[in-house]
Amino acid sequence: MGQIILVMFMLLMALLTLYPFWHVLMYSLSDPRRVLGGGILLIPRGFSLTSYQLLLDSKGVFDAYKNSLIRLVAGTSINIFMTTLFAYPLSVKRFIGRNSITLLVFFTMLFQGGMIPSYLLVKSLGMLDTLWALIIPGAISAWNFFIMKNYFQTISPEIEESASIDGASPLRTLFTIILPLSKPVIAAIALFYAVYHWNAYFDAVLYIQSQDTQVLQVFLRSMMNTSSLQQLGGADSFMTSIHAVTEESVKMATVVISVLPMLIVYPFIQKYYVKGIMIGSVKG
Amino acid sequence: MRAQNMWRQIRKDKILYVMVIPGILYFFVFDYIPMYGVLMAFKDYSIFEGFMDSDWVGLANFQQLFNTYGFTRALRNTIIISIYQLVFAFPIPILLAILLNELRSVLYQRFVQTAIYLPHFVSWVIIGGIMFAILSPSTGVIYEIASFFGYEGKVTNFLNSKEYFRGLLVVSNIWKEAGFGTVLYMATIATINPQQYEAAKVDGAGKLRQMWHVTLPGLRTTIVILLIFRVGQLLNAGLEQVFALYSPLVYEVSEILDTYVYKLAFNEAKFALATATGVFKALVCLVLVLITNYIAKKIDSESGLF
Repeated sequence: MGQIILVMFMLLMALLTLYPFWHVLMYSLSDPRRVLGGGILLIPRGFSLTSYQLLLDSKGVFDAYKNSLIRLVAGTSINIFMTTLFAYPLSVKRFIGRNSITLLVFFTMLFQGGMIPSYLLVKSLGMLDTLWALIIPGAISAWNFFIMKNYFQTISPEIEESASIDGASPLRTLFTIILPLSKPVIAAIALFYAVYHWNAYFDAVLYIQSQDTQVLQVFLRSMMNTSSLQQLGGADSFMTSIHAVTEESVKMATVVISVLPMLIVYPFIQKYYVKGIMIGSVKG
Repeated sequence: MRAQNMWRQIRKDKILYVMVIPGILYFFVFDYIPMYGVLMAFKDYSIFEGFMDSDWVGLANFQQLFNTYGFTRALRNTIIISIYQLVFAFPIPILLAILLNELRSVLYQRFVQTAIYLPHFVSWVIIGGIMFAILSPSTGVIYEIASFFGYEGKVTNFLNSKEYFRGLLVVSNIWKEAGFGTVLYMATIATINPQQYEAAKVDGAGKLRQMWHVTLPGLRTTIVILLIFRVGQLLNAGLEQVFALYSPLVYEVSEILDTYVYKLAFNEAKFALATATGVFKALVCLVLVLITNYIAKKIDSESGLF
């Protein structure tokens, strides 16, 4: 009996979590002329792809998508390269000065200069309005650095030392011994970085002004905050005539288009992401 | 002799010492230079004179801040929202984890977990869009529910309502993060010795009593540690969430320190005041983290962050 109630309750929780996504999808597929007055609970009212058509006809979405993808791929690659490059030497026990360097990294987790000094720095480096501003300032996350370094330490000491005595260069040890043994942690950290890059938006609000360089999340945000049709470029007579009816529908279509990639990959990455959280929570 | 050994060692490993250079440069440029930049909070900074030529003004900026309504309002909102989140959102994952653990079918448990983890992977901007749809007083789900109970057309727009907006921040935060928040608790529950449950059963404890006397105590340390770290983050009231959801209609109840910094700098061009707000926040955070970490270590020597 108790188990049945529990199963039902958990089903309710799962539905409460998933339903809002469904609602937005159904809204975006509904006939824009019929959405006023509601009534979209389980299936769309009427059926129309007009909002998607309007959205995909505009240049903005493609630019935003392209920029977000570049950010994701370039950003994550640089993250993994930089983090590994930095974490490995500092995981080697005989490295002179590793404690002081680690301490300096650790201190950055406790105290940061904050939004304005970082903004002025990015500005003076000439990175404003470029995708570099979204990639370079976050190249190494101190948190991920510590997870990786601690993981390297759990495998390395003896193997490391014996490889070194056998005359293997540190680089060779890294590529033939350490990295193959660290696949789970590297996969997890790559996922952390990738999910971060895909969802981050505040740095883009700060650093990116021009439409052509804007990322998907900010595109969606300006879409929600202003008139979505204006956002798509111009309110000509055609636009204004359908304005009232499609405004909300286009917003919903944008939400769907923005969330879709994550929904597609989510079932495949979820397990590794959660595993990564557990690796990270074990204190090294 | 020892120094000679050291040099030989360094020369042998020189590739390792080369490898750390990019990382050191990175942290120097992107973390330590901005730390130096906070000195601007003690200057009468103007964009025209630049950082170097601006005059030192000591604590004048901070004095001015504490006499500014915008700042005190942001500070108050930050603390209130944080406390709401702490009181209402913090316990939910614990409850969910205990209940999830009681599900007999592993497959079903996985299904529920997959469903409730999902919003964690979605950005606040998207969730803002979803809430906009659900809460729309004319077409949203909220409208349907109200109509069903005979309150057709009498729903407030919660996103624009001063009374409800903070509540909405808490509820949406629960919706987004409570599921994923169970991960660490579930991991801890998995480490509880099954014999403890057997012993409780022998003593005649039913399911509820087992949860209360075995599962919950097993989670105690994890709960205390996570709670303490949450308190350390008291002044972080959720920049990305608030920035994605709020509007001028609800600034009064939801302007937090982080959004206030942004506005001071980019809407009012008061860079020195904005930096001073940031410095104030960073310093309080530092002190809180040090205190809470100390307490965490007192409770369980293994569990401090450092």
